[in-house]
Amino acid sequence: MQKVVWYLLLPLAFFAGDRLGGYLLQKQSERSHFRYSRLYQNKAKADILLLGNSRGLCLYQPYIEEITHKKTCNLSYNGLPMDAAKALVLDYLDRYPEVKTLVIDVTMCDRENDPLLTGFLAYTDKSERLNTLIHNKELKAWWGGQVSHLFRYNNEIFQRALYYRNKSDEDWLLDRVITEAQIIDTSKSTYELDVNPYLIRQLQETIEASLEKGVQAHLVIAPYLPGFTVENLDNLKKAVEKATGLQVLDYRNSLVDPTFFGDYMHLNKEGSRHFIDMLRKDGVFD
Amino acid sequence: MIFNSLAFLLFILIFFPLYFGTKGKGQHRVCLIASYFFYGCWDWRFLSLIILSTLLDWCFGMWISHLYQNDGKSTNHQNKAYRFTHRIIARLAQTNFTPRAVLVLSIAMNLGVLGFFKYFNFFADSLAMLLQSIGFVPSWNTLHIILPVGISFYTFQSMSYTIDVYRRELKQETSLLKFATYIALFPQLVAGPIIRAADFLPQLAESKRFDYTRFNSGMGRILWGFFKKVAIADSLAPFVDQCFQSPQSFGSLHLMIGVVFYSFQIYCDFSGYSDIAIGLTRIMGFHFPENFRTPYFSRSFSEFWTRWHISLSSWLRDYLYIPLGGNRHGKLNTYRNNMLTMLLGGLWHGANWAFVFWGLLHGVYMMIQRIISPIWHRVISALKVPAIFSAGVEMGTVYLLTLFAWVFFRSGSQGLAGGDSFGTAYTILSHIGSGIGLSFSEVINKFQVLKGGLLISMLLLIELSNLRYRWNEWQLRQPYLRIALFSMVLWLLAFFGNFGANAFIYFQF
Repeated sequence: MQKVVWYLLLPLAFFAGDRLGGYLLQKQSERSHFRYSRLYQNKAKADILLLGNSRGLCLYQPYIEEITHKKTCNLSYNGLPMDAAKALVLDYLDRYPEVKTLVIDVTMCDRENDPLLTGFLAYTDKSERLNTLIHNKELKAWWGGQVSHLFRYNNEIFQRALYYRNKSDEDWLLDRVITEAQIIDTSKSTYELDVNPYLIRQLQETIEASLEKGVQAHLVIAPYLPGFTVENLDNLKKAVEKATGLQVLDYRNSLVDPTFFGDYMHLNKEGSRHFIDMLRKDGVFD
Repeated sequence: MIFNSLAFLLFILIFFPLYFGTKGKGQHRVCLIASYFFYGCWDWRFLSLIILSTLLDWCFGMWISHLYQNDGKSTNHQNKAYRFTHRIIARLAQTNFTPRAVLVLSIAMNLGVLGFFKYFNFFADSLAMLLQSIGFVPSWNTLHIILPVGISFYTFQSMSYTIDVYRRELKQETSLLKFATYIALFPQLVAGPIIRAADFLPQLAESKRFDYTRFNSGMGRILWGFFKKVAIADSLAPFVDQCFQSPQSFGSLHLMIGVVFYSFQIYCDFSGYSDIAIGLTRIMGFHFPENFRTPYFSRSFSEFWTRWHISLSSWLRDYLYIPLGGNRHGKLNTYRNNMLTMLLGGLWHGANWAFVFWGLLHGVYMMIQRIISPIWHRVISALKVPAIFSAGVEMGTVYLLTLFAWVFFRSGSQGLAGGDSFGTAYTILSHIGSGIGLSFSEVINKFQVLKGGLLISMLLLIELSNLRYRWNEWQLRQPYLRIALFSMVLWLLAFFGNFGANAFIYFQF
């Protein structure tokens, strides 16, 4: 009997430690300067809201703030799919009605990224929308988060929150120049975009919600390295324009100097400045 | 069905009550049915292959044994399958086959099956390339052959049985049920350890009862195995995969980290599997030998091979290296035997020249070690170099050269997936050698690097402390410590685990 009691103690010990650990990690997440932590701690007030996947990170906040004198908030994240982005934007609009402008890089409507959704488990207690989305799309992970609170923090999003615990994340941008070898191989490299109707519908609903709240939305395509083939980009652009009724500002070939790029699809800090100058010239931040 | 899946959890929750609820033959039957079900979950068609392999080797063992005895006494055996087969064997024994000829036939059939499923396309492609290089253009097509999971493991296991019977080191197993259980036992069926019949079959003599101490000990090993696989190996895998899939995109430091991560990924993946297998069989009441003993702390390559995949290296030693002559016939023959063993060990891992090259590298390492080791030891004793320093240099050298060889090994896996194995290895090594991209800022996915570094540090800390404290033995004596250790591993799994149910690396071999 005593032997059985020892094994009954194991789940008790596990859950006690798990809940305590989960609570401590939650506190760390709340204290972070990471974008989503700030969003849910009401510390992300801005005039311009920026959105995209890893390509959206080139909407470099410090430079935009420097030239526009407006406060910005960038919700972009590597591989961020539009359905998660919609939940984040709607949460943002609920909490920060002062926002005036929303800029979205539409290539984030490319493909779904359900594994990344589990990264937002760390914020499910703050966002019913994220909670429902993860429940609907990643049920096993959602249950994992219910059983173990430590599991909610088992992801890169929380690791970034820890990394930015004592420093700003606004400087998050590629800080390298594409290699010569990659430039030589440019013509051999291609990327095939998916035109995903589900994600385009999520974008459409995000735009509609923004417009209802008086937020001006701008849709853009950030530059790619010239010579790099992106299949289906025109189809995606057409589908987005048709669904949203907005014109997509297409900058795909607007920068030709390879030193502006960190790789085929991402601008580096220098390239980002040139891109932002073009956006400003076209009145995106007005 | 893999260990790190919910399906397997359900499977063992059903299996253990049935297993401990039966005795004797019933227990063996439960084991065998569960093992065949486990294997059938991969691809039920290949069950016929494992059954065929079992039947053949059981019959060959009996045939060899009959030729040695040639007395017909065994016909009164109670086992029906044995009596039936024995009558056929008795007729076969009237032919002119010698025990040696039967053994050769057995080995040929085993290697024939293995060769067909694993190496047919490899040899056909290699021959075609050779013919093309001398001007002939062969017109044959390769076959689309699916590699049955675990075939290399169970083939070696069943071959060891017939060889041991031939050498009279083992008596034939009269019970087909026991022999089939030995070949198919599910914890080690698909990725080892490779168990010898002489070690395992005697353990089937007694019924197994549930034992609380064995359960605790087994659970400790299982949890530790899961931590190594699910938390460490699967966390390192995405970074490593990226490095080997498009090495041209990364700089020197990034690829160096990728290769170091791979060395720990493969170690944690494979030794994690072995830990789970050893833990499961320990709960079942069996004793399985260790398959890994902190191999990266080896001070020589001969020591490395007594610490890495021990069941395979000892198999190759006993059934290949020593029969070839071992180190008994002079230096040159020793080098030759060593090289042949390592080359075949490399080929065992996969049908790709990169694996053979990996084996060749280890053969060369061992040859060089034999030459320079006496000189090195004379130098360090003459210079009175502190032992800790020489040990550090030796471990560092062995680890670095092992890393170099791992590049080809991992590229071989890339080759199995249709990639260019030597091209991948060359790109990685040339990018590392170029020294371009040595800054940490040029490393992509720094979070994976930091997490990987943290997990590897934890692994080293735990494995080193385990040498002194023997955690798994200690927890058996201290229930409080057990609860603390088990809870800690579960917390670590929850916080670091990758629950994508990734298959184990060695399943492809």
